[in-house]
Amino acid sequence: MTDPTSPEVRLPRLRKWEPWFFVGPSLILLLAVGLYPTIFVAYFSFHSWTMGMGPPVFSGFENYVETLTSSDFIDSLLRTFIFLIVTLPIELFLGLSIALALDQTRNAWLRRLVQILLVVPIATTPSVVGMLVQLMFNTQLGVVNYGLHVLGIGPVDWLGNAHAALGMVMMTQIWEWTPFVALVLSASLATVPQDIEEAITLETESFWARLRYIKLPFLRPGLVASIVFQTIFTIKTFDMIYSIEKGGPGDATQMIALHIERIAFRGFDVGLASAESVLTLIVTIVLAQSVVTFLYKDEV
Amino acid sequence: MKPSVKSILLGSACAVAALSFAHSAQAWTLQQAAAPYKGETVTVVGLDRPSYKAAQKLTPEFEKETGIHVKWVIYPYENTLKAETLNFVSHSGQFDAILSDVVWPVDFTKANWVTPIKDFMANKDLADPDIDIKDFFPVWRHAFTIKGELVGLPFDSYAGLLYYNKKILKEHGFSSPPTTWDQLLTVYAPKMYDPSKNLYPYALQSARGETQTADSFTRFLWPWGGRYFDAATKKITLDSPDAIKGEAFRQKLIKFGPKGIIADDHSQVVQLMGQGQVAMVTEWSAFYPTLIASKAGPDIGVTTEPAGPKGQYSAFGGFAYMVSAQVPKKTQDATWLFIQWLTSKSMAKPLLENGAVVARASADTDSALQAKFPYLAPMVTTWEHGSVPDWRPQIACYPYFSELVSEYGSDIETGQYTVPAGMKKLTGKLQHYMNSTGCWNSVNVPKH
Repeated sequence: MTDPTSPEVRLPRLRKWEPWFFVGPSLILLLAVGLYPTIFVAYFSFHSWTMGMGPPVFSGFENYVETLTSSDFIDSLLRTFIFLIVTLPIELFLGLSIALALDQTRNAWLRRLVQILLVVPIATTPSVVGMLVQLMFNTQLGVVNYGLHVLGIGPVDWLGNAHAALGMVMMTQIWEWTPFVALVLSASLATVPQDIEEAITLETESFWARLRYIKLPFLRPGLVASIVFQTIFTIKTFDMIYSIEKGGPGDATQMIALHIERIAFRGFDVGLASAESVLTLIVTIVLAQSVVTFLYKDEV
Repeated sequence: MKPSVKSILLGSACAVAALSFAHSAQAWTLQQAAAPYKGETVTVVGLDRPSYKAAQKLTPEFEKETGIHVKWVIYPYENTLKAETLNFVSHSGQFDAILSDVVWPVDFTKANWVTPIKDFMANKDLADPDIDIKDFFPVWRHAFTIKGELVGLPFDSYAGLLYYNKKILKEHGFSSPPTTWDQLLTVYAPKMYDPSKNLYPYALQSARGETQTADSFTRFLWPWGGRYFDAATKKITLDSPDAIKGEAFRQKLIKFGPKGIIADDHSQVVQLMGQGQVAMVTEWSAFYPTLIASKAGPDIGVTTEPAGPKGQYSAFGGFAYMVSAQVPKKTQDATWLFIQWLTSKSMAKPLLENGAVVARASADTDSALQAKFPYLAPMVTTWEHGSVPDWRPQIACYPYFSELVSEYGSDIETGQYTVPAGMKKLTGKLQHYMNSTGCWNSVNVPKH
């Protein structure tokens, strides 16, 4: 009979638990910082609770009904979709163009330099980006209008007009996140095998043919990742817009994240803000999943 | 001669009385009062503004005298209420000295998050006999009085003032600034408006947020007779003819201002004035040092805000310190000693000298200080005759109320709505909000 305390028996048992030792800490952290707040928000979405005005009281679906019938919520959500629909295709187009240009570049040093420069907008804190935009595009004091003035143009009211303000916020978003798309797609292009690329070059000189039949299949995972991440990032955008316009003028730049913050930390209505957050989370997941399903439909 | 029993008794009584008087007169010193709290740490909420910089600079004096350590936590204004509310709701005990804007005291007192001032005032070991509450201007005492009780000690107190560029005014034939808004619009503005020379008569900071609500929208409400609401009937009154007249005036006035003002905050208009592009701005008293240090500094003059058709109702804003009720008793006592010291009569002058603004009449009316700081005289005039403590409503749900005012106020200013349509829409929104949240029950109507 084998001794259960012998190393021969203990080692396989330990091996069984081995993966948990590696995954465990990350899992605990993920549960603590990801799942717990989500459950907390979901719980409060069924409660009526305004901070400082008594304890939470169970209210069923009341907050959800209020959210779905609130023109402020719907308007902010629609504005966010417009923001997403305008910025995402431009980011993808510009990002892909930069990635392809980098892929064509023979000069490794130049390619490395551009890749480093691309990190700068992503690495800059969004609130700092917002402040810089506000300073640069200020109608009277900004350097952009000063430059235009030297050329005999202007002044342009970049931030004081509702449409222009929305345009400015979109432009800043594109500036900040196009490099992310470019870097992801650049990494995807690097996975195209050299021999296949050489073979197609011998076959055809058409850039479009090479892109369509060779590069695009390799780009697909990068494109999916870019679209999914950018959808999430765009819906979550808060600090950059807050530091430029605080959602104004009027409600011209009030995206969904700003609207929820306003309900949660100006109105201190935790119940309503939680319901709005849950619905926004559902919308985000549905959108992201739809993108994945659509782009991989031929593989399903 | 042998002294009589009566005279001995009388003499003894006098001696005892004199001794006890001398004892009580000597008894209270900050050092002695603080002795039981030596080694305590008091966490104080502050803002990134001149008054708090001055307070931080002078804090080591308090620490040296008391042995109490003071830790300042500085927030931008926009995040302060959020941070303090979360501190209370989560019972984190993170802050001991709570900073309350003039529009927040109801939030803190209604939820019993702060200890009533009277508890400390009644404690002879803690209350400085020289605290002289009446030395705070009445408007400030009233602003922080809820249900007949003072709930905080005023600190960092502002009045809206008219800053003007004497040189620009003189160049356009004016020897003094306008005294009424109507004069500013009809007499001064047309003469000075010259966009080709990048010169504007007046700039009104209007960025969305509290700036739009307080500095832009409300500024044109009271002087025309407009009011936010009638607490007795629980009706929002922003669609009244007077309120509409005031906001319509604002629309006429901003046509003489620089483009893009809707996105500009305090720092931008102060900069515009400092560079000599704008002849006049209405700004808080706290901005005086910044303007004086600017390029246009030597030409800057300061006076009270212009009056409207219904009188002078200048902008009124500022803060008070309260003691958190969620921290241990010993920490509360130490906190009280700190805020009592910071807002005391004896500290008012050093604070002013270091760039702070205080609501102590003894210091603000001091002729030597008024000569040194020209903004003090108009600030005192404003507090004594030209404003009201509830210039902005004192309600528990003020932050979101203000958000709505700011959103629609800025929509009206950009012309998205006509003034009557915008005011009607805003009235409906605010009425719904006040009714649905039950906020009418939290309205504080201070004494004027």
